[in-house]
Amino acid sequence: MCFSFKITPVIWLEGVSYLRAGSPALADVTLGVSFGEMVVVHGLTGSGKSSLLAVAAGARAPDSGAVWIAEHNIVGLQASSLPYVRRNIGYLPSEPLLIPDETVLENIMLALAVRGEPIDSAEADARETLAMVADSAWENRLARSLSTGQQRLVALARALVGPPSLVVVDEPAAGMGGDDREGIVRALVWARERGCAVLCATSDPGFSQMLVDAGGRRVHLESGRIAGAPSIGLVPAPVHFAGQSEREIAESSQAIRSSARRSSGEESS
Amino acid sequence: MTVRWILRRARRQAVSQRRALWIAAGSFLVLALVSGVTVLGLRATRGWIGTVGQGVHVIAFLRDEMEPDQATQLTDLLRRRPGVASVRLVEPAEALVRLRDAARLSPAAGSWLNDLEPGYFPRSIEVALAASADLPQRAAELSRRLRGVAGVAGVDAMTDGVARLGAWVRFGQRLGWAVVLAAGIAALSFLVGTVLRGREARRRQAKVLVILGETAASIRLPGNIALAAAGLLGALAAMLVLRLAWPALLTTVEGALGIAPTPVGFFLASWESAVGLLAAPMLGWVLGYVSTPVSGWGDA
Repeated sequence: MCFSFKITPVIWLEGVSYLRAGSPALADVTLGVSFGEMVVVHGLTGSGKSSLLAVAAGARAPDSGAVWIAEHNIVGLQASSLPYVRRNIGYLPSEPLLIPDETVLENIMLALAVRGEPIDSAEADARETLAMVADSAWENRLARSLSTGQQRLVALARALVGPPSLVVVDEPAAGMGGDDREGIVRALVWARERGCAVLCATSDPGFSQMLVDAGGRRVHLESGRIAGAPSIGLVPAPVHFAGQSEREIAESSQAIRSSARRSSGEESS
Repeated sequence: MTVRWILRRARRQAVSQRRALWIAAGSFLVLALVSGVTVLGLRATRGWIGTVGQGVHVIAFLRDEMEPDQATQLTDLLRRRPGVASVRLVEPAEALVRLRDAARLSPAAGSWLNDLEPGYFPRSIEVALAASADLPQRAAELSRRLRGVAGVAGVDAMTDGVARLGAWVRFGQRLGWAVVLAAGIAALSFLVGTVLRGREARRRQAKVLVILGETAASIRLPGNIALAAAGLLGALAAMLVLRLAWPALLTTVEGALGIAPTPVGFFLASWESAVGLLAAPMLGWVLGYVSTPVSGWGDA
């Protein structure tokens, strides 16, 4: 049996433009990210990275263009349908939004709560992800007691828990030191190896290079446009997934996950 | 989010916002108390007027010599008089029954009542006048005329007693309404203020949950449940306080006014209690809904 997962994108942004306070933040951006792929969007401050990621995460509606996720152009979806798309995306916005009066563990568990995971398994998964991304000793601390950097790590753990099929992270390493940055790269690679499509934005050239060294594909964003050739990565056109049923996509995803698990098992043995 | 998750979120919200929820429950308690006292107070004061005056402004006691036909004719004549609301011929047997009923409510009632016979009581005509500002003057004028009618042994113009009590009770009721309205508005404002103070925290929480892909209904549910529970708690507490304190309060007021005590067991009807126990959680639910701002694309 031959799976077409190598050319199956989780997300496909097609000719996306977005105005921020009347000025163009994104202009005709086309970008796709496949299962098991990590795309690093690199650009200076104000180049439109956060806008691009917000559009990709379904948090902002583009002014024109299409955002295809699992065969659906979410731009055309009713507002009441959007939550069902968002819950399959692990999104870390530029501001690490946490519920301040809740514990770190509960904040992470919430991502699984909206997906309807049982409480017990959600708690175990959240602990495991927290231990991988940050420090498991934080689990009972209230989110408001953490520093901004610590909050960012917790929000990253919340974006990765599960993990969802698409992870969208905006400046995950902002203000972080060397060890934390390496930890973040390891976490993103961990997600990618589990078949997730990872879209990460950074303005830090060093961190961008670390992600590329870990197997990421880098695209440059300048004044809301992708520099150079259109970045379609492994995906030549949306027709490749537009023709696939949800079941086929799910099977492809499952195959990638199994393959990733097998290869990680081989590495460890 | 599953039901278990929503209940867990509601419980955690109740713990993290316990101070605001206790204040909300206290406000619900005051609101329910005010409503309960209003209902019970109105009923009690209506009962006082009924017990003491039975809505009668002039009573004409008839001589024994007056024939029943003549009494009926006089009753009809009075009924046709302008400004007369109702006229009733009271036979001696009915007068005795009334006296026994009224005396039964008084702890001072003795067995001597059993020895009375209807023959001790005269036949009487009770006249109720239509309400107006000059009711006392009209009652006095009617009394004067009735005194001049042959066959009338005596006339009791109730204006000095019952009508005055009625006027005071009505004044008290109006004053009570003003107090109730002020207390109700104050409690409601306090409740709304308390709930709205937590709006910013709930907005932030909603923003996080929108990003995570929660639906608007599920985002609001834990807050709705927590405030509905606060409403139910406040209403239950108010019901308990009223049950324990109202009889004693009523007895004290009636003792001070010299009115026969209202029968024991005088309380809210089952349907009134049910309405209170439903209305408070529903108000809490609505407040929970409006105090959790959630929107679509733009807020995520």
